[in-house]
Amino acid sequence: MGEFKVHRVRFFDYMPSAIRAMAFNSRTERLALSRADGALEVFNFADSYFQEKVIPGQDGRAVEALCWVRGRLFSAGLNGEITEYDLENLRPKYTMEAYGGPVWTICSNSQGTHLAIGCEDGTVKIFEVLEETIRFQRNLDRQKGRIISLSWHPSGALIAAGMMDMIKVFNAESGHATHRLLVERGVGASKSREVVVWSVAFLSDHTIISGDSAGKVQVWDGVTGTLVRTHLVTKWDVLALSVSRDESSLLAGTSEGTVVQFQFISSTVDQHDKEWVRTRTFKNHTHDVRALAHTDTAVVSGGMDTQLVVRPLLEKVEKNTQESALRKIAFPHVMLAPCMVNGCRISDTNAKLLFFYIICHLTCLCLFCTTCANVSVSGDDHICCSALSPCGGWLAYSTISSVRLYRLQYNGSNISITKVAKLPKVLRSAHQLCFSSDSSKLFASTTHSSVIIIALSQSECKYLHTLRPKSGTRQPVHLMSASEDGKWLATANSDCEIHVYSLHKLKLHCTVPVYSSCPTAMAIHPTTSNLVMVHADQQIFEYSLVQKEYTEWSRKLQKQGLHHLWLARDTPITHLTFNPRNPAHIIMHDTYMFCIIDQNLPLPDQKTLFYNQMTLRSLPEPERTSHSHSFKICKTFQHLLCVSLLEDHSLVVVERPLLDIASQLPAPVRQKKFAT
Amino acid sequence: MQHNNNISGVPLFFHRRRCCSVFLFPALNQSRRRLMTSPAPKPAAAESFGSPLDSSDDEAPEEVTFQASKASALQSLKRALDTARREKELLKEKRRRRQELFQEQKVEFPVSWLVVSLKGNYTVQTVKERALASSQQQVALDFLQSRLYGPGSCRTTSNELLSLQNKRGRKKSAAVQFVNKGWGEFSNM
Repeated sequence: MGEFKVHRVRFFDYMPSAIRAMAFNSRTERLALSRADGALEVFNFADSYFQEKVIPGQDGRAVEALCWVRGRLFSAGLNGEITEYDLENLRPKYTMEAYGGPVWTICSNSQGTHLAIGCEDGTVKIFEVLEETIRFQRNLDRQKGRIISLSWHPSGALIAAGMMDMIKVFNAESGHATHRLLVERGVGASKSREVVVWSVAFLSDHTIISGDSAGKVQVWDGVTGTLVRTHLVTKWDVLALSVSRDESSLLAGTSEGTVVQFQFISSTVDQHDKEWVRTRTFKNHTHDVRALAHTDTAVVSGGMDTQLVVRPLLEKVEKNTQESALRKIAFPHVMLAPCMVNGCRISDTNAKLLFFYIICHLTCLCLFCTTCANVSVSGDDHICCSALSPCGGWLAYSTISSVRLYRLQYNGSNISITKVAKLPKVLRSAHQLCFSSDSSKLFASTTHSSVIIIALSQSECKYLHTLRPKSGTRQPVHLMSASEDGKWLATANSDCEIHVYSLHKLKLHCTVPVYSSCPTAMAIHPTTSNLVMVHADQQIFEYSLVQKEYTEWSRKLQKQGLHHLWLARDTPITHLTFNPRNPAHIIMHDTYMFCIIDQNLPLPDQKTLFYNQMTLRSLPEPERTSHSHSFKICKTFQHLLCVSLLEDHSLVVVERPLLDIASQLPAPVRQKKFAT
Repeated sequence: MQHNNNISGVPLFFHRRRCCSVFLFPALNQSRRRLMTSPAPKPAAAESFGSPLDSSDDEAPEEVTFQASKASALQSLKRALDTARREKELLKEKRRRRQELFQEQKVEFPVSWLVVSLKGNYTVQTVKERALASSQQQVALDFLQSRLYGPGSCRTTSNELLSLQNKRGRKKSAAVQFVNKGWGEFSNM
């Protein structure tokens, strides 16, 4: 197999943003979540929790709450605006000023006809949901304090509002408050502070459940306006509540990082006296849990520790299967984010350029000369995507409003960056950017999975052509790969479609048969012109672009089936590349391992020892070949953001240990533990 | 008996014997004859305002029980305190309203005029009230920050959390030391 020199890069300060709010759409099985930097992400829970869409953030957009209305996504934030998002073009569709000051919460009725928002000025505003927009309908009676949380009764006739020191129940028709439920303050020092009702839930039997800053989960009778039961769950705040669809289970997220489950069960066998009983406690976070979603089978939580945790409920799924495993999503799935490594010859030096981007800054680092150049993005919008040309001479990035192109010049001691002033008007914004292998063309994917081709030269940048798929898809492209021989360009979108275009004929060459799971990484082999694709469910396919059919190896792999340990991995492959010295090698990685697949070696069957590198090393040389199989996995380096092979056969491994991220998170609560 | 020049009428001296309190209220309904004939002003009992006095100087003033006079004294004390408190609150309210008014006036609207010329001599100008919106957003963020991380929130540092995890885990190891001293310190959301 061989040895590789490894460059470990650990100085990339990638810092994910805290999760602020989430909303689950049970019909489409999509989870939307918003982060503190204003970015929005959509995860497909039906496809191995794949992060299929990312809408970049924007300065000043502090999203406090999210809400699905049928397939439409709305958010409200402290900037006082309601935003609807265009999920096909990954941008806000429109924003509407609420005129109530900062908006704390947004909630739709179960009929999907109206939206209610809770504002800082004490008003609950009702908006009508129309075909293409929303329209302000009315205000409910204005209250003295801010409205922090809202919940519609399933009938749509009543709204419960969590405020400071109290909960009010409104009649949605008349707008008047019918009940005022007084929430007790905390004990001791907290008695002087108002208690904040961070979250409320209105159930169909008129029970109201509230979570407040004094650490209580209270059960109220919404008809009489009386307190039924108080559960003191934590010393700190209960920040989020989520009720299951059948209203039999409730989750409460706390500042301690725990998620407490309550279930509506009876203590006796005859099932007549059901009540809310605290059952389980999940401790999967180190910091405050600010967002919760209760799906039919799992507990989904997120908060200040930036990780999305999916905890399947063991009575709802089959035990000891892939389905029942705890999942923690720490890194983005698609390399919209961090880095790219290019080993390139710049002038006469064999300098290696390392390139990162963090939200609004792009950094080019020369690995061996430790010089670096930065580009800051102007304006409020954050970066969607970026690319560095193979020659190291061009740098491009896109926000939702513009595309920028820069020339890079390396002159021995430093890197200079100059902006290219005039770009073709057709290039307004791109979901993915990619340079051709000879750095003469820039590919930018736009709406409906089309690709715009721009010819680059010293003098000017000209628009060449637009490549369009025939499928009529409206989804954006999230993966793009150009072949090294300049013949092919492959694109993949969130409809799981993979289109391959011929760059010589400038038209669609073929469409790979659609597989049910979304591709997470793909690349075109430089010599064989085979397209290798890895999907969210960890399946690997190899498709011959010349023959327009799956290769022999791919068929063999599908027949044999992938090893169960490969399929059990819970992070997707985010990058695929090849070895210029050995055409049979495919190098890929996920967060916890990188793997070299040797197509010349036999495939492992289910009984083979899968992680066999250590074993092989202990065997004498002649015996190794008989025990080897094609999947060579290395778990030495973690947590991986990028693994790339340079021309000189050295590996660059960009690691971002989760511990380094944890060390820079905001303050967690101080818990007194025994003997500390 | 002590005279006092307290015009507000709050009793400052409490005598337990016959007449309990001294008030400097004008002596109403006292017969002129009494005033004129007695050189030393006789203190009038609280209860006996307006009640006819005997013409005879020999008779002692009307008996007022200790309880009654104590009650009346407490009542007037309470009344006076209430008045003082009410006045203070009114002043506070006035001051607060004045302060609010000043704050509103202080906020400068960056005037970005969007001028639209219509037919004839009409123009429409819109002003964008951005500063006010962002100051409200800041107030909301400050509220969130103070509730979650402010005083009484009982927080520690990431350094301590990670170090405790090291010390209490199955594999015990040393406290976490950061290369960059800035890591692990309190930071905001």
